[in-house]
Amino acid sequence: MRRALLAITGLAAGTTALVVLKGAPEDRQVARELPVGVPVGTPDRTGPATPGATPQRTAATPRPTGQPSSTAGRTPAARRTTPGGDAGTRRTPAAGRTTAPKPTTRTVTGPVVSTEFGNVQVRITVAGTRIVDAVALELPQGGQSDLRSDRVDAAYSGTSGDVVRQQGANLDTVSQATATSDGYRRSLQAALDQAR
Amino acid sequence: MGTAISLDLATDLPAAVLRTLADDTFRWLREVDARFTTYREDSEVRRLDRGELPPAGASADLRAVLARCADLWADTDGFFDAYATGRLDPSGYVKGWAAQVASDRLVAAGAVDHCLNAGGDVRVRGHSSSGRPWRIGVRHPWDADATCLVLTGTDLAVATSGVYERGHHVLDPRRGVPARGLRSVTVVGPDLGVADAYATAAVAMGVAGVGWLDRLPGHLHAVVTDDGRLLRSTALPLAD
Repeated sequence: MRRALLAITGLAAGTTALVVLKGAPEDRQVARELPVGVPVGTPDRTGPATPGATPQRTAATPRPTGQPSSTAGRTPAARRTTPGGDAGTRRTPAAGRTTAPKPTTRTVTGPVVSTEFGNVQVRITVAGTRIVDAVALELPQGGQSDLRSDRVDAAYSGTSGDVVRQQGANLDTVSQATATSDGYRRSLQAALDQAR
Repeated sequence: MGTAISLDLATDLPAAVLRTLADDTFRWLREVDARFTTYREDSEVRRLDRGELPPAGASADLRAVLARCADLWADTDGFFDAYATGRLDPSGYVKGWAAQVASDRLVAAGAVDHCLNAGGDVRVRGHSSSGRPWRIGVRHPWDADATCLVLTGTDLAVATSGVYERGHHVLDPRRGVPARGLRSVTVVGPDLGVADAYATAAVAMGVAGVGWLDRLPGHLHAVVTDDGRLLRSTALPLAD
């Protein structure tokens, strides 16, 4: 999970490009939904067809390509298995395409790019005109982003994030995005003003 | 601007003085609203934008605001854009700027302990009437009744930008589409107008805004992403 976050901060430009190139939306939809029903750690899913792919690295790579927000509650273990499923399901149409003209598959390894967070190197597998797999061969470790990573709900359930109605005396004011007058009436700030 | 202003004066001054200071503050903010709003066609901003008011005829305040907006456009690689909607709308800077000016005036008048909240943009100075530094909650993006962080300090400008409800959005001015990736961005710094503009720019940048905030000198930040992660500067002045 931590490494996935680093991928977000360190590879922002790169991942944007990958999202664009990954093809039709329905393709991604399938990739998202299928792994949920597959038991975690099923043996036949442990062997991605990409030769030489380092499993640890593959875990991190596809994460930034836009998981649905509903994944917020998933455990780290469950998240890690998703990309493996990604790779597997995306290959399924290729396997069924035996009668169609066989698309040429080639693997391209990008250069090592130095960023302020460390080195990044990506390898992609292209079938025809479509990227079917992307693997980060090298990603930076550690750094400030790592330290800052935290779930908002962890803070939410902690002392600083308690529902403020119960501890309003401890707050003087609330910062929030521009509130309309209607929004203000329903806001914490209004409650605090009223409590004075 | 259509927003609510809350002012807490904690310096021990005669009640009549405090009342005058509060009246002055609200009169100033109402005046700014009347001159800078985009919701009234007779405001100075609208008249300038329509070309009825020549730039040379604009007030010193408006010219200063437009100059700062131009600076901020450059500082944010174009992601803070007073023309993002296609017409002049400097309100992303004006609200924080007006509150900052009001706070500076309060300090000059001797009211060194105060908390001014202009539609969610907060400027605190000194201590609350309880004698401790001010405590500023940051709204939880998915729960209007909760905070996800509590900051504390004696001299902070805290501005938050983001999207809490469906239908609302921050525009990515480069592509002209609603920005995605960051639900809420809070910027802490010395100047409220600048902090607000930076927060808005970071939301417009999307996920890349996190890295941009990380490299921003003189400012601290807290970010809540669309998928519910809280990222923040390690030096952020958290309460407790």
